[in-house]
Amino acid sequence: MRTNSRNALAVFVLLTLCFAGQLRAEAKQPPKMKASAVEVKMIPSDELTLPPEFQASLYENLIEQLRKKAVFPRVYRDGDRNAGNTADLITLECTVVKFKKGNETLREVTTIAGATSMTLRCEFTDKDGNSLLVRDITGKVRFFGSSLKATYDFAKKAAKVADENFSSGAARS
Amino acid sequence: MNSRINALVIAVALFFCSPLIRIGHAQQAQTETQAVQVIGLAGLKENTKGRLTVVNGTLRFVHAKGNADVTAASIEDVVTGKDSQRVIGGTLGTVASLAAPFGSGSALPLFRKKLDTLTIQYRDASGGLHGAIFTMPRGKADALKNELVAQGARTSVLTLADLKKILADSREEKR
Repeated sequence: MRTNSRNALAVFVLLTLCFAGQLRAEAKQPPKMKASAVEVKMIPSDELTLPPEFQASLYENLIEQLRKKAVFPRVYRDGDRNAGNTADLITLECTVVKFKKGNETLREVTTIAGATSMTLRCEFTDKDGNSLLVRDITGKVRFFGSSLKATYDFAKKAAKVADENFSSGAARS
Repeated sequence: MNSRINALVIAVALFFCSPLIRIGHAQQAQTETQAVQVIGLAGLKENTKGRLTVVNGTLRFVHAKGNADVTAASIEDVVTGKDSQRVIGGTLGTVASLAAPFGSGSALPLFRKKLDTLTIQYRDASGGLHGAIFTMPRGKADALKNELVAQGARTSVLTLADLKKILADSREEKR
């Protein structure tokens, strides 16, 4: 009898702790900003010399991952004329902060050297140019795969950040 | 009489040579090469294999399921680069390099072939910017780039012909 009540108490305490942690985590999360469309700008390569294939791959992977995550109902390319008609459009601009090209052969032979990594500052702005969110996101490829896979890694992380901070719907006032 | 025979001989010779002349012109007009579309062409999966050519002011990628065309005039930047690729690649290459005895598998990635890359940035009908990357056998990208530039594409990196022209102009100015 005593054992049963002790077990029940232990389970109750554990459940309370679990729920309290979860509730605290939920309370900490800021409310998501609302936007129904995003325009992705081409990554500039002037400040840090970014090879053109990395520039194109970053841009294309970013668009593909944002479409896959479906955070925004519409994802527009840089310069798309249809973007101008959208009321609650936000713009995503990424600039290269750090870039290390790495070496695929070295990476596969040594497994400790030759990693490709890049850090980009991603800024989401509203139609008036006000900054909504700024994050530094890093893409890496460490062991196997071509150096361009780092751009895929970056794009996946960027889409996750967008998913955590934005949701589709009416524009934020 | 002699002049008639001569005229006949020339006519026959021209008749037989004309197909060769036509083939020669056709080869000059377009550069065709095997290529892999790494990313960027609308409606195509990554790493699609096909053939890349420039025909009538259009960059055409011919693949197993059809064609993808990009007009040279819509290309805002065309740049070439050098790259390399594992000769023994994919799952087989990875398994072989892991399974090879006494760590000899780590030498497998050293067997690589050189590749050229061609990167383009172009606008679609609604003004949206696209970036596409192609890889192809070494030495083919420059010819394709020159052809695209000749047919209206723009480039941020000068071609060899442009550099030669600039050098020649500066020499003439010095004289």
